Amino acid sequence: MSNLKTIPKTALNEWVQRLRRRFRVVGPRPKNGQFVFAEIETAVEMALDYPTTCMPPKKYLFPPQETLLRYHLDGSHIQAVIETEPTVIFGIHTCDVQATRLFDQIFSQGFADQHYRARREDIYLISIECMAPCTEHAYCHDMGTSHLPEAADLHLTDVGQMYVVHVNTPKGESLLADTLAEPFTADWQPIYDRVIAKKMEAFEKRLDFEVTELKELLRDGYSSPLWQDVGDDCLVCGMCTQVCPTCVCFNMEDEADLTQTEGQRTRTWDSCQATTFALVAGGHNFREARMARQRHRFMRKGKYMHDAYGLLGCVGCGRCGSTCLVNITPIKVLNALYQEQHAEQIESDVPEMELSYEDVTARSAGVAVDLHAGACENNGRTHPH
Amino acid sequence: MSGTVNELPRVAFFDFTSCEGCQLTVLDALQTHPELLKVVNIVEFREASSARSEDYQIAFIEGSCTRPGDEERLRKIRETAVYVIALGACAHLGGINAIRNRQPLLDVRQYVYGDKAEWYDTYPARAIDQVIQVDAVIPGCPIDRDEFVRVVTVLLQGRQPKLPDYPMCIECKLHENICVYERGQVCLGPITRAGCNAICPAYGYGCEGCRGLVSAPNMESFQEVLAQHGLSQAEIDEKLSLFLTNQTLLEKELVHG
Repeated sequence: MSNLKTIPKTALNEWVQRLRRRFRVVGPRPKNGQFVFAEIETAVEMALDYPTTCMPPKKYLFPPQETLLRYHLDGSHIQAVIETEPTVIFGIHTCDVQATRLFDQIFSQGFADQHYRARREDIYLISIECMAPCTEHAYCHDMGTSHLPEAADLHLTDVGQMYVVHVNTPKGESLLADTLAEPFTADWQPIYDRVIAKKMEAFEKRLDFEVTELKELLRDGYSSPLWQDVGDDCLVCGMCTQVCPTCVCFNMEDEADLTQTEGQRTRTWDSCQATTFALVAGGHNFREARMARQRHRFMRKGKYMHDAYGLLGCVGCGRCGSTCLVNITPIKVLNALYQEQHAEQIESDVPEMELSYEDVTARSAGVAVDLHAGACENNGRTHPH
Repeated sequence: MSGTVNELPRVAFFDFTSCEGCQLTVLDALQTHPELLKVVNIVEFREASSARSEDYQIAFIEGSCTRPGDEERLRKIRETAVYVIALGACAHLGGINAIRNRQPLLDVRQYVYGDKAEWYDTYPARAIDQVIQVDAVIPGCPIDRDEFVRVVTVLLQGRQPKLPDYPMCIECKLHENICVYERGQVCLGPITRAGCNAICPAYGYGCEGCRGLVSAPNMESFQEVLAQHGLSQAEIDEKLSLFLTNQTLLEKELVHG
């Protein structure tokens, strides 16, 4: 249960200045007609009413490229590189906070990733309530991420002259200490409730089904002809995975310097949409078809990640749909899949007994369907565990 | 690895039909990465030295093969060098020289050389690997200097240099450039091999595909995207033939007759 406070908007600049004494502060800023998360020096540089950013703030938790270790080629020296910088992510949307929760799971489960963990400890999240859907492709309301006031360290809700602040963690409390925060008195409750009620009216459901049905929908739709259509359209440009707040696949490479005395191991974002992603020794590629790669992306977001980590791999931010040049959007694809299955149910009196790929692999292996997620880890460079 | 100059791998640079801009980038790389000179012995490099040599292990070739007379010189380089590396778009793809491959050659020669057209025995521009076997490629117009240094490093380790095999859009997103299509222009980023750090879109200009096609691009769907953004079929063909003639149009002619 969070502790509520208020902070006047007029105090925002002073607050940011005080934060900057202890932290790098990053927030949403306009850049070339869109918004990006970047370092800010004053609060006025931030556009806290931004619709969405081109790239999610994931880049601060899990940089596109990071050095994991440095070594001397003669073996005399090998050192893990842990680089962190105390950072406040100011104005993160709740969909992106949900993605952070998933990352915390992914990088802690099994072998905990020391690089991520160190960085994560130094990152403080101040989320802000969205008042309207950011784009036509966002479906956060369906995915249950449009209103998560208790997920980040602090959460701000714009109620006019003030922000109502949910103080959710000791980290959040430490950000608010020594500021101009005021108590949340009983007078504020109806005002806050009214703002939230109005916000909820602005968000409509965009999926034709409930999110609880998503895993089954994808499982049953594995062999749908729809994936072929998606694959025919897909440019395999990889933009969908780049802008995704939950895409976590990476590649690792060792590189020595010119004189071959020192080397380093780097971790770089990878994309399951790249032709070479599932390429293994002997030139075999187990997801050579575009259709297989796009299907994998949807399966992973809507099913496999939930199987493996207990959280869905999609937060409904809609960035992939907005960036796609051929209009492959989750809302369109998932609704089409649902309508297809729905139509089939009406048409057929006798339920079909056709086995999906998933049923077959799960049965033949005699283990849980999580196998799928495991299968794509076999090339040693994809999903971290 | 470093030793006396005579023990270092001997490197030579050669140019064919090109602007020599890639070699200028190499020259630039020698200034930003002077350590290169500690690991290789450059025995022939017209941009920087008047020295000549017929004894080298690593040959960098800039430019495309455009005349019958080029072939013998190329074969000689191949016979001498252990590694042959195509340097830049002309050597890698035929480059912009291959634009002429779409047109009747005599017309092209007359356009360029007028009544002296018959004097020049030029023929369709080809990539170096269409003439001799090439061990590695450094793409781009011009090449990226960091990629050049990386390729040299990897070659000296006796490994095969690996180019990015994903589209430029992936790098463009990392730089948080606004998509060129959102600005009402077209861009070949979705089908072009990454590795340039999306430098053209970063400056607001659409990619022209100088690094060549990524593996298995979806050309059909991509051409529909170009059409939706207002390009006629002739404009699409033009777009795909600035750098990609040999990779797209000739292929199409072969497939469709």
